[in-house]
Amino acid sequence: MRIDYKLEDKFDFGLFVPSFVLICIGLMAIYSSTLNNPSAGNNFEKQLIWAAVALIIFFITYFLPTNSFRYAAIPLYVFSLMLLVVVLVAGKQVSGAKSWFDIGPFGFQPSELTKIGTILGLSFYLSRRNANIDSFVDILIAIFIGFIPVGLILLEPDLGTAIVFGGMILALIFWKGISLFSLFIVLSPGFVAVSTLFGVYYFIAALIIIAVTLFLFKKNIFFSGSIFALNLGAGFLVDYAYSILSPHQQRRIQSFLDPMADPLGSGYNAIQAKVAIGSGGFLGKGFLSGNQTQLQYIPEQWTDFIYCVIGEEFGFIGSVVIVALFLFLFLRLLKIASIAKDEFMSLVLIGILAVYFIHFLINIGMTIGIFPVIGIPLPFVSYGGSSLLVNIFMLGIAANIYRTRKSYA
Amino acid sequence: MNSITFASSKRRTIIYFILIITFAVLVFRLFQMQIIQHRTYDEKSADNSIKAIEQIPLRGVFLDRNGEVLVSNIPAYTLRITPANYDKSLNEILETVLEVDQGYIDKILYNNRIYSKYIPIRIRRGIDFRVVAWLEENSQHLHGVDYIVEMQRGYPAQIMGSHIFGYNKEISPQQLEKEDEYYKPGDYVGNNGLEKTYEKFLRGIKGYNYILVDSRRKEIAKFKEGTDDVASRKGHDLLLSIDADVQRVAEEEFKDKKGAAVAIEPTTGEILAILSSPEYDLNRFSYVTSRDFLNSLYKDPDKPLFNRATMSVKPAGSTFKLLAAVAALDMGIITTETTIYCGGGFTFGRFFKCHGGAHGSLNVVHAIEKSCNTFFYNLIYRIGLDKWAEYARKLGFNSKTGIDIGEEVAGLIPDSKYYEKIYGANWPRSIMASLGIGQGEVSVTPLQLAQYVALIANNGKSYVPHLVKGYVDDATKQLVPFKFNEISTGIKKEALDIVKQGMFLVVNGAGTATRIRMNDIKIAGKTGTAQNPHGKDHAFFVCFAPYENPKIAIAVVVENIGFGSTYAAPIAKKMIEAYLLKDTLKKEIKTVPEIREKLIGAINEN
Repeated sequence: MRIDYKLEDKFDFGLFVPSFVLICIGLMAIYSSTLNNPSAGNNFEKQLIWAAVALIIFFITYFLPTNSFRYAAIPLYVFSLMLLVVVLVAGKQVSGAKSWFDIGPFGFQPSELTKIGTILGLSFYLSRRNANIDSFVDILIAIFIGFIPVGLILLEPDLGTAIVFGGMILALIFWKGISLFSLFIVLSPGFVAVSTLFGVYYFIAALIIIAVTLFLFKKNIFFSGSIFALNLGAGFLVDYAYSILSPHQQRRIQSFLDPMADPLGSGYNAIQAKVAIGSGGFLGKGFLSGNQTQLQYIPEQWTDFIYCVIGEEFGFIGSVVIVALFLFLFLRLLKIASIAKDEFMSLVLIGILAVYFIHFLINIGMTIGIFPVIGIPLPFVSYGGSSLLVNIFMLGIAANIYRTRKSYA
Repeated sequence: MNSITFASSKRRTIIYFILIITFAVLVFRLFQMQIIQHRTYDEKSADNSIKAIEQIPLRGVFLDRNGEVLVSNIPAYTLRITPANYDKSLNEILETVLEVDQGYIDKILYNNRIYSKYIPIRIRRGIDFRVVAWLEENSQHLHGVDYIVEMQRGYPAQIMGSHIFGYNKEISPQQLEKEDEYYKPGDYVGNNGLEKTYEKFLRGIKGYNYILVDSRRKEIAKFKEGTDDVASRKGHDLLLSIDADVQRVAEEEFKDKKGAAVAIEPTTGEILAILSSPEYDLNRFSYVTSRDFLNSLYKDPDKPLFNRATMSVKPAGSTFKLLAAVAALDMGIITTETTIYCGGGFTFGRFFKCHGGAHGSLNVVHAIEKSCNTFFYNLIYRIGLDKWAEYARKLGFNSKTGIDIGEEVAGLIPDSKYYEKIYGANWPRSIMASLGIGQGEVSVTPLQLAQYVALIANNGKSYVPHLVKGYVDDATKQLVPFKFNEISTGIKKEALDIVKQGMFLVVNGAGTATRIRMNDIKIAGKTGTAQNPHGKDHAFFVCFAPYENPKIAIAVVVENIGFGSTYAAPIAKKMIEAYLLKDTLKKEIKTVPEIREKLIGAINEN
């Protein structure tokens, strides 16, 4: 067999290198944050095994026939939905959320797998031959496909995952080419709903903004009127839904809207996370020398607050390196999305980019105090097997698409 | 339509800019936190994890005037519980071993619930060796239970001193508000006696150990290997004017009696011994005092908490005849030539009886010797009430002496204003007769009596009575003396000398206290018996010795017992012997370094 291509031509180091560097930095941070914690003592070893498994999964995915993703799209989507239903009934309760399966010593979260299922399923739907993203029906179906899993996940209280899905759906219909007006119609009920939670004045202000925008689009009065009515309904529906929630759930939502109202709850983590990163300074306190980390000021720091370990022990330099590695990875995914050989593949890549990006933005944002505390992990870096495997699986798909971008098999 | 808009380069550019802008915002925010605000966050981080642990300094000890340790620090065991590791099912067995009521532990744990569960809570101080041994044996079953060694007061000199030393007590919330910022809840502070007066010298300076703690305030390690720690500074040792031998003798003599005794060095005002009987056991106060013990002290009809030496007021009885004599001689109303005839009593409105039949004609010296009532009934009318009261005030009555243990009363010396207030301008003059012999409204404290004799002995001059000579500076090992105000009565020496002659004859002539006569030491004194409407008379004796060169002045009051000569005088004699006949080598005041050695030795022995 004659080799007639360079390695770089088939294998994209721009995807592989930053991701695996992130995994390695993540392992160091997990080692540091669990060193003095007896209950999490073997988390580093566990993650090391996960990383090895991840490498294997990456190459398996890389070498799969590219079209298999297209064929697997719908079955995988349906399968992951079924898993969500099963976990609701038979899952293991972890910190109030029933979202885990026990597989031997390792837990598995089906909602992670659902991300891939939904990216593939929704990309498949949007890339079919006669799809029209600006038709009312198509948008509704697209949102429906995207939000079935969100609905199922929301039955388990997991707000972070819901936001990831919402962002991913938005990215896909945007990439598909939705018009500005349609996008507005899609977004407006959500905008009104969130405003309602802040109080009646926000609700009225939101409605006024909607009315003005509708006027500026200059659509016919009947159509504009129905959109406005839809928004009004969304506001009242949310208000009603909120009133029937238990006080416990209401507090969760309040804490989300205003984390500082509860400084010893999620607000405590937000404050300690900022102290950890801020006290790191330019060069950091040194590996294994961060007192915030080593003295366990942030509970379970190896999961969602892993970025604090890096910020504290490796300082500004380390923090920027992480952000830069992510940026590099994102730009690479965007680049491959634009050169992919067909619409499906391109949409899948944008979906993957969106999932990574929202995780990245919310996770780092909450540790540096520009977002409220929402518990979602930092891709590749945080401790957690299912998250790492699913992220690597997605990376494998991206690398696979790159490998076959020129062939028309 | 879709082929036109799908993945358009415009949309690609939008995503591209979202990514770049996000990157810029994050890096800017990191720069702001980690470079610009770094110092603020670094301080917060240090506040978080570095905790200062107070080191309570060793309290200064009390030494007697010869360097003997009177009050020391001795180690005691304190049982503690760390709530995080403790299982409440152990409550019952611990309460049984500690011999405390059921619910005792729960109550303390509940009171401390606001603190971290990783901070040990003191359950009981001063547990005995039996309990410590039991804790050691069963330590593997007693999770979260431990004991530490803490210092408590010890009294190695076999001196009760309950009204001298006082005791220390956990600071109260009210005191915390008043006092300076030095104190923290749980600190011990002098509650009464010298412990209270000299608190600021005794307490020392707290030290601090810096440790690293985790988010649950649990100790992880020393901060910077302890290089930033500040060592505590021991408090200053007090050099008392008390003579341990005199104090011991007085306490021994008063074991089965109620009353008070005070001994003063006339030339300096230094108190050589002071006691109030009954006393109470200060050891019971050196750790957590049981409520039962306190209640028993409060309910005791003999009032052991009451300092009789400075707080009890009684008519001075015949010891007050000296006052009238001093006044009359100093004013020049009488001389040694002046005699007054005693026919067995005195009539002024009514008849006032003398004791022991008729004394015949007497001058002032013999009137003192025989304690003739008739002489002094007469004398006070010649002096006049207000003049007499003025001399009483000169000799320290009717006001607090200013002794350096807080609790003290002024007593009362009546004058014409006093009687006018009660009876009007025409108050019955016959009242005055009793005052001449120290009965009636006269009320004085034993301390005032001792000061009065000291002033007579030392030619009308002395210093404010005090218990502490000075403190031993812990850094320089030098004695730093305290200064006390001088008292000068302005009374003529000649007048006092005549009174002293009378006092000499009381013991060494044909007087009322000849039973305490000694060959080698000449004591001069005056007996007294104060009538007590509630029972047996109170016995008084005041004296000084040696007659030629007074070194000790004493007042003894024994309650409800009978005549002063029989009961009070022998006690004074024993105190004088203890002070003046002790081994001459031992009498020399030791230099400060020697005192230090003795002190260190005493602590190490314990």
